[in-house]
Amino acid sequence: MTLPPDYIEYPIRKRAMDHDRYPYRILPRTTPVTWPGEARVALWIAVHVGHFPMDMPLKPFTAPGGMERPYPSYWDFTQRDYGNRIGIYRMMKAMGARGLKGTALLSAALAREYPVLMDEIVGAGWEPACAGLDMAHLHHAEVPEAEERAVVAEAAALLRGRFGNAVTGWHSPAHSESARTPDLVAAEGFTWTSGWVNDDMPYAFATKTGTLTAMPLPQDLSDQRMLFQQNMATEDFTDAILAAHATLDAEARATGGGRILTLAVTPWLMGQPHRAKAFSALLDAILARGSVWNATGAEIAAAWKAQA
Amino acid sequence: MLKAPGHYDYMPWRRRPKITWPNGAQIAVWLAPNIEHYELFPPPNPRRNPWPRPHPDVLNYAWRDYGNRAGFWRMADTMAKYGVRGSVSLNVAVCDHYPEIIERCCALGWELFSHGTYNTRYFYEMDEAMQREVIRDSRETIRRVSGQKLDGWLTPAISNDETTQHVLAEEGILYTLDMTHDDQPTPVNTRSGRLVSIPYSLEVNDVPLFVSRNTPAERYAAICKAQFDQLYEEGAECGTVMCMPLHPYLIGQPHRVAALDAVLAHITSHDKVWLATGREIAQHYIDHHLADHKAWIAEGTP
Repeated sequence: MTLPPDYIEYPIRKRAMDHDRYPYRILPRTTPVTWPGEARVALWIAVHVGHFPMDMPLKPFTAPGGMERPYPSYWDFTQRDYGNRIGIYRMMKAMGARGLKGTALLSAALAREYPVLMDEIVGAGWEPACAGLDMAHLHHAEVPEAEERAVVAEAAALLRGRFGNAVTGWHSPAHSESARTPDLVAAEGFTWTSGWVNDDMPYAFATKTGTLTAMPLPQDLSDQRMLFQQNMATEDFTDAILAAHATLDAEARATGGGRILTLAVTPWLMGQPHRAKAFSALLDAILARGSVWNATGAEIAAAWKAQA
Repeated sequence: MLKAPGHYDYMPWRRRPKITWPNGAQIAVWLAPNIEHYELFPPPNPRRNPWPRPHPDVLNYAWRDYGNRAGFWRMADTMAKYGVRGSVSLNVAVCDHYPEIIERCCALGWELFSHGTYNTRYFYEMDEAMQREVIRDSRETIRRVSGQKLDGWLTPAISNDETTQHVLAEEGILYTLDMTHDDQPTPVNTRSGRLVSIPYSLEVNDVPLFVSRNTPAERYAAICKAQFDQLYEEGAECGTVMCMPLHPYLIGQPHRVAALDAVLAHITSHDKVWLATGREIAQHYIDHHLADHKAWIAEGTP
């Protein structure tokens, strides 16, 4: 008994990707990009503002922060909800005090649930971007196409109903995508996306209905992975970000092209009291290194696209 | 199934009505030792098996039993050293099994509130009548051993049912700890009666930190101090609450108790701290700030 013969046949084994979303590109050979003010590093503060319904499905997988304890898990629900009530305001205050803005990667359901929070995001000068409908609606192969299309449309409508055309970015919740998600997202009019964690610089991402700008949003270097999933100390996370900055800044000096440092941060984690000072200290340390251009995802995508 | 607990309104962490604590304190700090008994042979619950190993799970039982034999006494002495009272999250059967522990708590002037009967009797799928019976047992047991009124509630293992908060309000409980949505007390919406939430914590709770999150004792102390420093600072603007949940089987271990000592030394070195009990915080909030919070919510949290 063995496997069928075609198990060792490789019909798309050639010099190309094994899909047609983007061609292979080598980071050190990528055409240098200049940021406003000749800044070496664009600082993108991408804040995961998720809504975790208590009755969320736990299959085929759960997002980081999904319900872990038996229903009804007030334990999990209220700890995540703390981020949207308290933590995000702590982060806004720290960023605002330093003249920094960010992109809110929003569960669109929050436009309905917490309209006051939406007002505060506008007031802080943050970019609103769509991170799906909520953390109970992940995108994956088992979601029927019509259902996925409806979820994308509902999420877009909720956020555009509040923010209008300011909503141009799509980040699939928990980086979850089916094979068709980018097509549905582009068809809905989104222009940048950040689900694929495969580069430090933007690139063109092909869909059936136009080209998206793929933005670098790390998961390996995120508070959800390092603090929540890997249980590292807060300073391990902030030290890692500063190490990333040092590398990216050095590459920018060497190549003459700008790099992007993305902070993938979450209010129910970095907005906790015991991490607030570490978050402020991290922002100060990045700014102290100089040559930083703080921008939103849409601004960075536009600056890159103008030179692509 | 509920999408959300539905027990509290959205209250953004800015421009809140000012909360003040007695004597100009910026922060109310309270310690909640969870004094528990986990049964060697617990009955099954449809949603959760208390023990990871087949019963008897000797290792996990004995680990917790250590808390009542050794850890509690060490922890209580450390708290007494700094004059910090506890508000005991009490599995009330402890009163019957280990009355010496209760005598020590009462001698130290600690509050007793209910954490159910045993930590192995969950509220998952318990109907309202049975929940009321457990609450009444708690009320009577606590009154019998201490003369205290039952004012606070934390469902065993936070295993609350959808109806639990409603039942608590109707049974005359003053405050619930089943929700960790805030750094201040908040109103709790129930179908009748009155209930408030005061902050408990999963962030500076020794169980998640030591058991789930692999935290060394020194880092635990650093996290607790950082939590205090931030809430102390923010409390200058609007009074905050910090809760330190403790479990004697963890914090009372010889390799960890110095961390508790260090945290209490840090906290008590500040002057604008109200070292309170859960009951005192809840009552102060109800008497002075609950109406302001409700009015602010009704106005749309301007």
